[in-house]
Amino acid sequence: MAVAAVHSGGIAGHIHPEPQGFVRRYVFSLDHKIIGIQYIITAFVFFMLSGLLAEAIRTQLLNPNGGFVAPGTYNEVYSVHGSAMVWLVIIPLLTGGFGNLVFPLQIGARDVAFPWLNMLSFWIFPVAGLMLFSSFLMGAPTAGWMEYPPISLQGAAGTSMWCAAIFLVGVSSTITGINFVVTILKMRAPGMTFTRMPLFVWGQFATAPLLMIATTALAAALAALFIERQFGVPFFDPTKGGSPVMWQHMFWFYSHPAVYIMILPAFGIISEVLPTFARKPVFGYKLIAFSSMAIALLGFMVWAHHMFTSGLAPFLQLPFMILTYIIGVPTGIKIFSWTATLFGGKIHYSTAMLFAIGFIGLFTIGGITGIFLAAIPFDLHVHGTYFIVAHLHYVLVGGSLMGVFAGMYYWFPKMSGRLLNETLGKIHFWLFFIGFNCTFLPMHWLGMLGMPREVATYDPQFTFWNRFESVASYLMTFAILIFFVNVLWSIRNGRRSGPNPWGARTLEWQIPSPPHYYNFKHIPTVYGLPYDFSQPLPYKGLEEELTDSPPPVAAGAH
Amino acid sequence: MVTAVLAALAVAAIVFSYTFPLERYLPAAIVTARQVDDLIRFMSATGSALYIFVAGYLVYFAIAFRAKASDAPDAIGVQIHDNRKLEFWWTVIPLIFVIILSVVSVRIWYEILLEPENGLVVEAIGHQFYFSFRYPQINGEVTDEMHLPLGVPVTLNLTSADVIHGFWVPAMRLKNDTVPGLVTTIRFTPRLAGRYPIICTQFCGVEHSEMDKQVLVIEDKPSFDRWYKGWQQKNARVSNALPGVAGQAIPLQGGDVAAGKALFSQKCTACHKLAPFSQTLVGPGLEAVLHDPAHPDLVNGKAANPADVASILENGYTGSMGAMPSASSNGLSPQDIANLVAFLNTLK
Ligand code: HEM
Ligand SMILES: [Cu+2]
Repeated sequence: MAVAAVHSGGIAGHIHPEPQGFVRRYVFSLDHKIIGIQYIITAFVFFMLSGLLAEAIRTQLLNPNGGFVAPGTYNEVYSVHGSAMVWLVIIPLLTGGFGNLVFPLQIGARDVAFPWLNMLSFWIFPVAGLMLFSSFLMGAPTAGWMEYPPISLQGAAGTSMWCAAIFLVGVSSTITGINFVVTILKMRAPGMTFTRMPLFVWGQFATAPLLMIATTALAAALAALFIERQFGVPFFDPTKGGSPVMWQHMFWFYSHPAVYIMILPAFGIISEVLPTFARKPVFGYKLIAFSSMAIALLGFMVWAHHMFTSGLAPFLQLPFMILTYIIGVPTGIKIFSWTATLFGGKIHYSTAMLFAIGFIGLFTIGGITGIFLAAIPFDLHVHGTYFIVAHLHYVLVGGSLMGVFAGMYYWFPKMSGRLLNETLGKIHFWLFFIGFNCTFLPMHWLGMLGMPREVATYDPQFTFWNRFESVASYLMTFAILIFFVNVLWSIRNGRRSGPNPWGARTLEWQIPSPPHYYNFKHIPTVYGLPYDFSQPLPYKGLEEELTDSPPPVAAGAH
Repeated sequence: MVTAVLAALAVAAIVFSYTFPLERYLPAAIVTARQVDDLIRFMSATGSALYIFVAGYLVYFAIAFRAKASDAPDAIGVQIHDNRKLEFWWTVIPLIFVIILSVVSVRIWYEILLEPENGLVVEAIGHQFYFSFRYPQINGEVTDEMHLPLGVPVTLNLTSADVIHGFWVPAMRLKNDTVPGLVTTIRFTPRLAGRYPIICTQFCGVEHSEMDKQVLVIEDKPSFDRWYKGWQQKNARVSNALPGVAGQAIPLQGGDVAAGKALFSQKCTACHKLAPFSQTLVGPGLEAVLHDPAHPDLVNGKAANPADVASILENGYTGSMGAMPSASSNGLSPQDIANLVAFLNTLK
């Protein structure tokens, strides 16, 4: 096969000497799996910090006149909460984290195309994260994760730190994007044509160009805001001839694609977990893969649906409304296909599967409210209210974060060689599922009835539901604590998983858990899609992977 | 069987969507608010019906196809890969739905856009941390409540004196940002008397949360007129100065015609001719701009009066012909503006 010839050589072709010493292995590692785990651990640390901020928000909102923290502090709290959750938690977990950990294994590669760049992009990330949190020391940003000027020009010094920090995470994302695109294009095992790639790889393949292209617009916007704040060059200040709306265009030209950065990899996770536990192929493989690409492309053409109240001319707004509706079609295709995947299955309820099914149920709600929001007359009512907060948490928590949890329960054995505890996992799922819905569902009607977002105090008529949400959010936090306990306990005491505890069929499960640093002793050859459970595995050349035989030519190449 | 149950639930959701007494929770203060409610009902009906089917089948499949204790541990499901027909339909039906939704929402949006243009012109200006209002015959600004007469179409121009605010009246189901340097317009017709909170929906600073204390009062014409007279008297001595973008007032009195004329040929003739309105260069011709009976209104529903011309000079303007720079980017001081207005006022 011609493809085979092209892909068997190159970087994937030889095995490097094993890295020696703790620092080389676990700190400045070049191994995509270790880097992936580093991303995951770091992101979860930031997740705990921004989760604490979330609880501060909910505690403040227990009472209509606040009182937990001063309004100024409150604004800092939710601004850093949102920024950190987006840029330090969800994006790194799904791209640098699970992306690095899983997809090179799934395409039968020994590493990503540029391991040094990979290490660099990881190490930028914790530095940027610490910078973001350090902004609390100098007056953190207060204008939300969007930091619209001119108000963000008035923000304390921490706002400039915010610009710098987000700029750096952006650099890290861009590098990761380039790395992943090249890896997927150039380093697939022989025979792994595009139509044989696992759907998680498709998810990353659709995401990586977004990381590369969209993030550059954000970088430009951040640089301009930083320069204006520090050196007074008026990009955005209208009293000096700048345009505040320009920031919104640049920001959303990034941030709408960014919402797909935060969901396409999660779609990929769900598309792996469902067939494995339903014991049948994912329904409509081609359409699922195709719809990811369609969403990624359309995602670049809808940014102004965040700006329907910003004073754009009506004829400019119309195409954004219609194109946003159209994104609902490929999104719907995915949801229907996943649901159909369950039909006729033999479903095993592992925690990963619960999270995957929960994902479909909750993400769909966020997808539908997203279509509502694209309707300009409705958006003119609820823009800037708690309805938006509800929508974005249904897609980002009910969607992306549930996807992350599904991925954690599913691939934890691949990372550690041990299973997470399933009983704790199920408690985690149910408490989280209930807590999440009770926290965010009422926000829909609060927003429609008149509660604006980003407020430290609110109209007393909304007290009941706000208290209800706050209490529910504590339940959610408790569920997440159980998850952390589970992880910490299972790393040492979890049941040993063996190479393939779930009977899964993608390549990463055909090698030991955790895999050797070189992944595959011999790069396998791929003969088909992995998902048909009635067929033998479509791989050749894996015979030695689970034996004790040494890897061929372990030294030398460089 | 399952399909029947789901269909029944979907019908229930549709009935609920169309009978829910929305206006009991949130009155519909303007005419188009009820159209937005229609859209909400339509979307809620279709959205919840769709959701009931998706979630219903999801839960049903999840229960019906669980692996049972009697299954062999390595039992597998039915190996279905795809189904062209199904995939065709669940691509096409959503597409049809997208078309229907587009039609429905564009129609309602047009109702909002096509509200009469010749209504009472009111201006709302966002400040940290309140809104002020300007009315045609009231000097200066009204700073407590915003009053509007019942049944009279309104053209509301929005701008800001400092940062971006959001002007939202939930009972109107309508909002727009107040953007410094930009005048945006919404038009509507009040239909229900009452007092409705005005809420800021763009974060604007420490006291943003407090920016929900002002109200819009919709009342019958006689009450409105009394209120209006009251403010006319109260503000009789207030100068009609405009708040500049930087908070600097623009004094319109004492403009120097000659200086204005000189300035006009320096700063304005690149885009405007001294010719009738229709003779466009980049912007319209400005001959007799303040006294042209054919053009009682300026761009954006502004009246052809000195204050509004000054505000265009001050804030710039972006419209169908292109963008006119604001005073700051054109290098105009408040005195320059006064001079220019004085000059334009002499063109008859
Ligand atoms: C069918 C899919 C979706 C549609 C049609 C959609 C539509 C929209 C629209 C129109 C808005 C703007 C509302 C406003 O500010 O007035 C919005 C806000 C938002 N959406 Fe979506 N959305 C979809 C999916 C997603 C996904 C998958 C994510 C992330 C994983 C997401 C995250 C967000 C966020 C974070 C905001 C709020 C941004 C902010 O103002 O802070 N959305 N969405
Ligand atoms: Cu968007």
